[in-house]
Order: sequence, then C-alpha cells, then structure tokens
Amino acid sequence: MDTESLTEETLLHSGRESARVADFLRSQGLQLDDDVEFTVVLAAQGSIAATGSFAGRVLKCIAVDPQYLQSGLSAKIVTRLIREEYILGRTHLFLFTRPANVPIFSSFGFYIVHVVPSQVALMENVPNGIQRFLRTLSTSAPKGKNAAAIVVNCNPFTLGHKHLIEYAAARCDMLHLFVVSEDKSSFPADVRYRLVVEGTKNIAHVHVHKGGDYIISAATFPTYFIKEYQEQVETHALLDIGIFGTRIAPALGIVKRYVGEEPFCKVTATYNRIMQDVLPRYGVDLEVIPRLTSGGGAVSASRVRALMREGKLEQTRELVPDSTYAFLMSEEARPVIRRIQEAGQRH
Amino acid sequence: MKIKDVGIAGTLESSDISIRIENSESEGIEIELKSSVENQFGNQIRKVITQTLLDMGVQHAAVHAVDKGALDCTIRARVMTAVSRATKRNCIPWEVDRCAE
Repeated sequence: MDTESLTEETLLHSGRESARVADFLRSQGLQLDDDVEFTVVLAAQGSIAATGSFAGRVLKCIAVDPQYLQSGLSAKIVTRLIREEYILGRTHLFLFTRPANVPIFSSFGFYIVHVVPSQVALMENVPNGIQRFLRTLSTSAPKGKNAAAIVVNCNPFTLGHKHLIEYAAARCDMLHLFVVSEDKSSFPADVRYRLVVEGTKNIAHVHVHKGGDYIISAATFPTYFIKEYQEQVETHALLDIGIFGTRIAPALGIVKRYVGEEPFCKVTATYNRIMQDVLPRYGVDLEVIPRLTSGGGAVSASRVRALMREGKLEQTRELVPDSTYAFLMSEEARPVIRRIQEAGQRH
Repeated sequence: MKIKDVGIAGTLESSDISIRIENSESEGIEIELKSSVENQFGNQIRKVITQTLLDMGVQHAAVHAVDKGALDCTIRARVMTAVSRATKRNCIPWEVDRCAE
C-alpha cells in the first residue's frame, strides 16, 4: 500500500477526535484507554491507517490497519511517540503488549522486563532498567536471611497500615516496605512515601523503598488489549506478582510477603488470591493479616478520605498516627483535601 | 565536552538509525547497539559512532542506538544531532567536523 501519501495528525485528547481513534482500535480488537494523553494518527483521506498513543511514560494503543502491515508504519508511529515523550522530558519509557509483539518492539530498541506467556509482556527502552532498580534496592538495604515484604499504597498512612507493619516486623529480621510510586491517588506519591517513613521510623528493621517503575499498580496497568474485565485483573496480577517473585524477592532475600485482609474490593481480593497461588512457586510465603478495627469498622485509608471529603478532619485523629494527623492539619494538605472534596473520588 | 541532558536523533525507519546519548556512569564511550545487520556491520557501526563522538570532543557517554541499515554518513549526522541536543549547542557547523566550544 502506498504510504507516501499518508498524512500525520496528532491529538491531545478531545471527545470527538478520540472517538474516531477508539472506533479504529475497536475494529482491531483493542480499546482506547481512558488515561491516554497524546495520540498520533497516520491517515489516508481521513481514514486511519495506523495509530499509537501514550499515557505518562507508557506507550500504548498502537495498531496498524491490516492493509498497511509491513509498510513500516509502526516504526513511524513509535518514532513519533518517543520524540514527543522526549520533548516532555520523559526518556525512560515502557510498554505493555501481547507477547507475540515482542519481536517488533525489540527491533525498535525495547527490552523485556517480564513476560506472562500468552498474556502480556512488559518492555522498556533501556537494556538494564530493572537491573539498575534492583541494585538500588539491594544497596539501600542488605540482604536478610528471613526478610519479608509488604507492598502498600498508603493513601494516606493510617494506624491500620502501622498495625500490619508492626505485626510483620516482629516476625522477620528485615521488613521491606514498597510504597507504590504511581501518582494516581489523591495524596501525591512523594507525600505518601514521606508519611510512611515518618510513621514507621520507630519500628525496628523496617526499610521503606519507593516502588519505582517495577511495582505496577492496577491503576496504571494498561488494559487496552484485554477485553474481559476479569482477565484484565488477573493479567495485571500475574505480571506484577511475577516481577516481584522473579526479580525483587531474590534481590533482597525476601521469603515472605504480608498483606492486609481485603473484604470489600474484588480487584484486591483477586490479586491476593493469585498471590496465594503464585508466590510459593518463587519461594515466597504469603500471610494475610486481619485488619485493625476501631469503632466498628476497619481502620482504612478510604475511611480517612471519606472523613476528609465530609470535612470531618478531627475525626481522623483516632485512625492515623500523629505524623499523618499533623500533615492533614497542615497548609500542605489543603490542596489534597480540596481535590478529594471536589472530585468526590473514591481514590 | 560533557554530555549533560539526554539527546535523541533519528527514526526507526528503514535505512536510518535512532541515537540516544546521555551521560555515562563510567569512563569512556559505551554503546548499546541493536542492528538488523549486527553480524555484517556491527563493528563498523560502533566504530563510526565512537569516532564521530571523539571528533566532537566527547570522551564519555552512554549511547543507545537502534540501527535499521544506516550508511556511515547517516550515522554521523544522527550522532552529531543527538550531541547538539544533549549539550544544547549547535555542534554542526556545516562542512566542518569540529564542535564549537
């Protein structure tokens, strides 16, 4: 097919134009993810020949019309996306794709981070990204003989989290806390991390790490190539747990992972069930701890946020440690409170 | 001359080479090359990249290159552009190969 006459368009998202891209993707068995920031389209007389997008540092939703396969269109698309990311100052890039597409992205200078066979491959544009991350982890904290891990979001850090952490720290010689780095929660990642550090500073042998790019929250996992919701949830869990089990745990000598019981959120419950099945294959045990309760309910970050939304800040006193309460009462917390109240968001 | 930011140049299209250059954690010029013609021309490509950098006065850098069958002149041009962008200087005075200090 003649590719010389294709015109290139770029879109910063607006309703009508993304509908056109969404339709094209659907015709290829894909979807347009909600969080897409930028899209490039190559079109012939208005009809799309190829498209690609990104959200943050993740390239996604790349598709080429079957008539145009083997014409180098995906190379044009990926080049354009990378250039735009670099203009935004983002040079360490990722993509999630079906494993069958690994060779083509490999030819574009992407390297495998992890593959869940037949389901998903995570790739990055540097040859040693994950290795460097593991090195920073192991140099910041020595390998333990009996090390454990907890992965937390802490939006914000509560007494419920503290309870779980104290329980785990008492039963191992080194507890590694990984705070999810994604900024998709109402409390910014750096604040969440800081509150965890402050809230745990008096607990012995606890190391707090930033989750970085290799602890993948469900919020950031792209689902554009998976139709069924349940499959999206499971594929994300298998990828994230796979990276944890094959890379992170061995680098730090982690043999156990702790998680708080999750009675409400189905997604978390599925994730925990998969951890239960999969982690032992990597030599990691899982223990589920009942949640701390107070006043008839679990002490959870969502309860704290609900109180913030209702403007009842003083009532968070019994749910959070002093360090978190001090933050909530400070100037710095005002924009966070406002954001929670305006968005009316659960997260 | 020191590389401060990350600079990129080139595309992933056939006959081109995509170059990314950034500061290196170690001494010397490190090149990570992906090439469709690695066996035939891998060494030559690395040689051209290294020589271009040395000619520009760059002694330490980490280069990531994805080659799609580029000729030497293309490789030189892309390397020079990437360095210009990484150092934010015009390093390509036409017809002269020395980078303006």
